Amino acid sequence: MIFSVAKTICADQWRYWLRTKVAATVLLLGAILTLAALIVNAFHVEEAAHAREHLQTEAEERFKAQPDKHPHRMVHYGHYVFRAPTPLSVIEPGVDTYTGNAIFLEGHRQNSAMFAQQRQSAGLTRFSSLTPSFLALALAPLFIILIGYGSVSREREAGTLTLLLSQGTTRWQLILGKLLALIAASGLFLLPLLLACLYVAFSSESPLVVLLFCLSYAVYFLLWATVVTACSALFEKSSVSFTVLIVIWMSACVLIPRLGSSVATNAAPSMGKLEADFKVEEKLRSLGDGHDVNDPAFKKLKEDLLAKYNVDSVDDLPVNFRGVVAQYSEGRQAKVLNEFAENRMGEELEQAHIARQFGWLSPTVAVRAISTILAGTSLETHHRFLREAEALRLEFVQGLNKVHVEKLDYKLDMDRNASEEAADKAVVGADNWALLSEFNFNPEAANTRISNALIYFLQLIVWVCITVLFLKAAVRRLNP
Amino acid sequence: MMRFTDLKREAGFVFGHRQIKLTLLVVFLLSVVSLWTGFAEMQEQQATVEQLLEKDQAERDSALAHQPNYGSAAYYTFHLTYSPPSPLAFTAVGERDVFPWKHRIRMLALEGQIYETDADNPELAFLGRFDFAFVTSVLLPLFIILLLYDLKAKEREARRFDLLNVTARNAHAIWTARVIVTLVPLALVTLAPLVVFGLINGASLLSILTVCAIVIGNIAIWSAIVLAIGAAKRFASFSATHLASIMLGAWLVTTVIVPVTAHTVINAVVETPEGGDIVLTQREAVNSAWDKPVEDTWRAFIATHPQWADYTIFDPERDSSFNWKWYYAFQQVGDQTASELSKGYQAATLQKDTIASYVALLSPSLLTQRLLSSAADTNVSAMVGYENDVRAFHKALRKFYYYHLFKDPEFSQESFEALPQFTPNMRTLGESNKEN
Repeated sequence: MIFSVAKTICADQWRYWLRTKVAATVLLLGAILTLAALIVNAFHVEEAAHAREHLQTEAEERFKAQPDKHPHRMVHYGHYVFRAPTPLSVIEPGVDTYTGNAIFLEGHRQNSAMFAQQRQSAGLTRFSSLTPSFLALALAPLFIILIGYGSVSREREAGTLTLLLSQGTTRWQLILGKLLALIAASGLFLLPLLLACLYVAFSSESPLVVLLFCLSYAVYFLLWATVVTACSALFEKSSVSFTVLIVIWMSACVLIPRLGSSVATNAAPSMGKLEADFKVEEKLRSLGDGHDVNDPAFKKLKEDLLAKYNVDSVDDLPVNFRGVVAQYSEGRQAKVLNEFAENRMGEELEQAHIARQFGWLSPTVAVRAISTILAGTSLETHHRFLREAEALRLEFVQGLNKVHVEKLDYKLDMDRNASEEAADKAVVGADNWALLSEFNFNPEAANTRISNALIYFLQLIVWVCITVLFLKAAVRRLNP
Repeated sequence: MMRFTDLKREAGFVFGHRQIKLTLLVVFLLSVVSLWTGFAEMQEQQATVEQLLEKDQAERDSALAHQPNYGSAAYYTFHLTYSPPSPLAFTAVGERDVFPWKHRIRMLALEGQIYETDADNPELAFLGRFDFAFVTSVLLPLFIILLLYDLKAKEREARRFDLLNVTARNAHAIWTARVIVTLVPLALVTLAPLVVFGLINGASLLSILTVCAIVIGNIAIWSAIVLAIGAAKRFASFSATHLASIMLGAWLVTTVIVPVTAHTVINAVVETPEGGDIVLTQREAVNSAWDKPVEDTWRAFIATHPQWADYTIFDPERDSSFNWKWYYAFQQVGDQTASELSKGYQAATLQKDTIASYVALLSPSLLTQRLLSSAADTNVSAMVGYENDVRAFHKALRKFYYYHLFKDPEFSQESFEALPQFTPNMRTLGESNKEN
């Protein structure tokens, strides 16, 4: 019974929307925008995926096609890794456009990711971007407000509310009917998103992740539809409900996310890369220059090695001492570099966590965190990319150093600068370059991403509870 | 004619409303908070620059102290370059969080160094900054809509509309006065904190006034839009909230849809070299030089540096097969190979920015944001300007070392007193030096 009445009210509300120009325009505009965003983004992601895959293969081929060389020259020749976009980044590109997607890997250095797309946007997309997630999280609530702010108060202003309630419609029936209508309307914006998700679910992404991703967006839309209907019931005049809702939208969708970002910057200032570089250098200087075998820092290494092979001079060693030094110092240096890199990542993560705490103040922040984490476009996944790139860097550099140790004669190596012919002799075969392994970046496993997002799900659940209480209060106080 | 008494009466009326007082308070707080966070961040950046400068000098001195020749001195010494925040940078962080504003560079090929970014936390950049430019360009229009949309409707609902129109000496004057007494306080609460922070930060009065003028212009444009929609004959039968929906639609179209559409179109239209290609090209050129005949490098080098044509011979006895002159020459050649791409990349960035400046004419919010960041020196051209400063400095560095490598004067620590020093806005200073 309750539902059949609610259904009638819902249908009636829809008739009203389709009749009035504003509501119909908003509905149409919203649906077109989401669809356009999805199409543009899907093409963009597809293109980027292909381009990066191509660049990755090319970089690997070029590395392996290098001629016979001194192995240390290959250490400096270096390698590139590219990050391919994740399936869900069609909907949520997250930090991807801000981080840059290519890193140059070389010996003795950790480089940062280069060529963030945002630099090429001339500031056009600093406030808004044509991404489905921005539309869904920031703009869709505005659309829902514009459609629904007057759904109940309109009846009151027209005097039909008294009529409805006196004819036996209960308050809950009325509100549920109105809510249902608004949910159906907001479903119109959500639908393209859900279809895209469905498509993604059949690709390589875990279905559970896609399901949770959809669910968080759906809950978010439900939240807004409920708040809008409740406000419309709570305030006597449409204009008041409108003003209040716009203020809520401004603070939740526009203001608080940015406030969080600014507070995080100031509350936990992080050390820039350059400052860290100075500290790294200070520490590295005490470790010795790996290019110079006579550096006093390697005295102990030399003595140990001589003792191990029971010989008197490095010339008699069965291994190339220069290679040993390079290998040894690269390893120690990587340790220092990683210590600082981990530090920096920790600082960045701390800032992100502070910014995400604003999810207790705005459901938009909560859903944004869930959305980026699940989509694999969050800071965490970027850090994972940096870590994997570093692991690959160390692997091939140390692999080359091993070749240096084992396959290059020490005497030839020491004499390499004597003449051009000598330089030509101090090389190893190009077949050694096959040691480079393929780089295939994948975001964290589904379970890890979900557990990373747990606390933000909790934020969302709290918001659901608050909204339900708000709706109940609005129904209780609904008076004609 | 509007009279002072009209204004006074209307002011009393407007300030009798709690909603208006509350709105003004909120705008004031937003303005203060945005300015304060921007201010704190720029103070931090300024402190970072000073700290880095100190360390940079110490580090270079200690590195130079045990170098045996100019080649290794150039190899082992880094130079800090930076773009300090302007006195007004706190009002608009602008592009400073995506473009680098500090680099440490050395004599090696520049194309491999200049695209390194010491960028801020990407997640925070993605969430966006809560700076004064954001408050005035994005939020302020919304507040104007909220304040003005029911200007007349409120009176109609209170059934005073006709009474007011009839009793007033001039019907227009009432509404004009009411708009003025609403907007002037709005401008004041927004701008007063700005003036205070600007003066504290030592910004020039003229630049502060420029920012004020931009903000007032923005308020004027948005008020005009809101009032025009409110007064339009077509919408005469609409309720106040319907009118407000249309006003929000105007905000949405100009603030969101115009920029993102323009962005998509510009990206499709302006051809940009793939950033990765620049560094790949440069690296291939530099690394393949080791395997190529030395003459190839010299030919390409001399083509751009004919003054050193007679100095390319070296003494194998002294220099062995490796020699620094050749090493830096192929670094130079590496840059030359990639220079076409690199110039194209920068040109594309600037071209996109130019097109965006035309697009901004369709979007008051975008226009305000762009004007503010240009007043604050944090726009794309300022950041590209810094990149060119770095290029100019690197050029000066090369000039210094080429002289010492090719002319080969006796190595002395004193000669490093003439080492070029980076100063911000080097490019423009250099140009004016030439004129002298």
